[in-house]
Amino acid sequence: MNELLKELYQEIIMDHGNDPRNFGECKNHNRTADGHNPLCGDKVHITLMVNESNVIEDVKFSGVGCAISIASASLMTESLKNQNLDYAEKLFTDFICLVRGEDRKFEILNEDDSLCSLKGVGAFPMRVKCATLPWHTFKSALSS
Amino acid sequence: MKLINKDIRKDFPILEKKILDKNLIYFDTAASAQKPQIVIDEQNKFYSDSYSNVSRGVHSLCVDATFKYEGARKKVKEFINARSENEIIFTKNATEAINLVAHTFFQKFMNSGDEVILSIMEHHSNLIPWYFLRDRYGIVIKFIKVDNNGELDSEHLRSLITEKTKIISITHLSNVFGTVLNQEIIKIAKDCAIPVLLDGCQSASHINVDVQKMNCDFYVFSGHKVYGPSGVGVLYGKEKLLEKLPPYLGGGGMIGEVTLDGVTFAELPAKYEAGTPPMAEVYGLGIAIDYLSALGMNEVEEYENKITSYAYKKMNSLDYVKIYGSNENRASIISFNLEGIHAHEVASFLDVEGIAVRAGHHCCQPLMNHLNVNATSRASFGIYNNFDEVDIFIEALNKCRNFFIK
Repeated sequence: MNELLKELYQEIIMDHGNDPRNFGECKNHNRTADGHNPLCGDKVHITLMVNESNVIEDVKFSGVGCAISIASASLMTESLKNQNLDYAEKLFTDFICLVRGEDRKFEILNEDDSLCSLKGVGAFPMRVKCATLPWHTFKSALSS
Repeated sequence: MKLINKDIRKDFPILEKKILDKNLIYFDTAASAQKPQIVIDEQNKFYSDSYSNVSRGVHSLCVDATFKYEGARKKVKEFINARSENEIIFTKNATEAINLVAHTFFQKFMNSGDEVILSIMEHHSNLIPWYFLRDRYGIVIKFIKVDNNGELDSEHLRSLITEKTKIISITHLSNVFGTVLNQEIIKIAKDCAIPVLLDGCQSASHINVDVQKMNCDFYVFSGHKVYGPSGVGVLYGKEKLLEKLPPYLGGGGMIGEVTLDGVTFAELPAKYEAGTPPMAEVYGLGIAIDYLSALGMNEVEEYENKITSYAYKKMNSLDYVKIYGSNENRASIISFNLEGIHAHEVASFLDVEGIAVRAGHHCCQPLMNHLNVNATSRASFGIYNNFDEVDIFIEALNKCRNFFIK
């Protein structure tokens, strides 16, 4: 099997793609946003509960899309839960650089993080937007 | 006569290309067709040998360029069997051609509350121009229902027509189902004296088009889908109708006389070709049409139908493949999904196997909603494809299934 494909569809991606974590809507939420990729039809809906100390108490998503976008959303919710907004913003920047294949020192991400399993997307430029859609939607939920 | 066989691949230099060490199998002709060497060469030669602006000078180069530009118009006229070259307008693409008709037709013949009939399986290019009219001027849009095989419901069309129906604008060959329009639909419209626009983007390169025989009032297609250059489209309109419609874009080349108080307009076809047109592209389109005509459009249709039918049968025998539409009345396009695998995964997997297919909504979001799918993959075939490629494709679908479904 082709190495690029193996790298793209690592077990963890297929696992999260088929069985996404934090799928649904937060019971109580104070931030929300909908993301849509008009080029391919992927849709994601994100709800967040951010408390007074700017900590993300809960984050969930729902939507339709390919394994990459669903896995990306699922991994994102796992990595953001119980983190503060400052951390989330930095992680956002790191993640976007990661999947775009940009050579840059990360502030937060390290190679053992589950998010790094999405690094293989960089070899498929047309799929980068699949991985970034949930993150951009998260970002717009923050400002909602 | 030139024959459609394996040698034809040699005419298309891009087919020599390797994708990640695999031979390229190009199954995305419905999105855009690859170019024969002669189109590439002749277009280059136009720049190095004949180039100047057209229609507005007396020097030798201008004469040469104009002759070549207008020569292409004659070729297009013959290609779709229009009555006159005045009925052939060059645009930048088919989208612009539909916008041109929508806006000028509204201006001349419609008022707020008047009705346009489209179908639910139209490409966005045959939806949005009409949505603009709905949003800005309050026209009413009605949609013909489509069955699961991509056939328009003629009874439903009959029920939609009222005294307020001013135009019917529909696809001639569905870019999702691959179905060719039933001529009865045009007849129903014509019996009610309603003008018909056919979106020919998918039909022009696959079937022998005769605008007179079909009796459509407008027919649009794009150059890049008929093995010609991008950047040029064609609007065919019945001369009497085009004469009545107002101009669309204003500028140089489309005028009769200009004073500080006003303007008179040029005769057809110049009336609709404001500004410097895509000259080399128009010339290249003419060369592409020569190329197709040498093959013969009936032969092209017959060959592509064989490939499509072969692929359909093979795909249909795989129990995990869902094909949209039947094998009846289908030309060159097969939209499908693999059970449990998103279309993007399929397309990325096939890409690594060297096979180019399209995945997504194919600019037909309302149809995707109707089919209740988020996206489909689409294999589409051209004159350079062959049965061996279909076999490799089928094998790759099996591999893809095994890769994703453990």
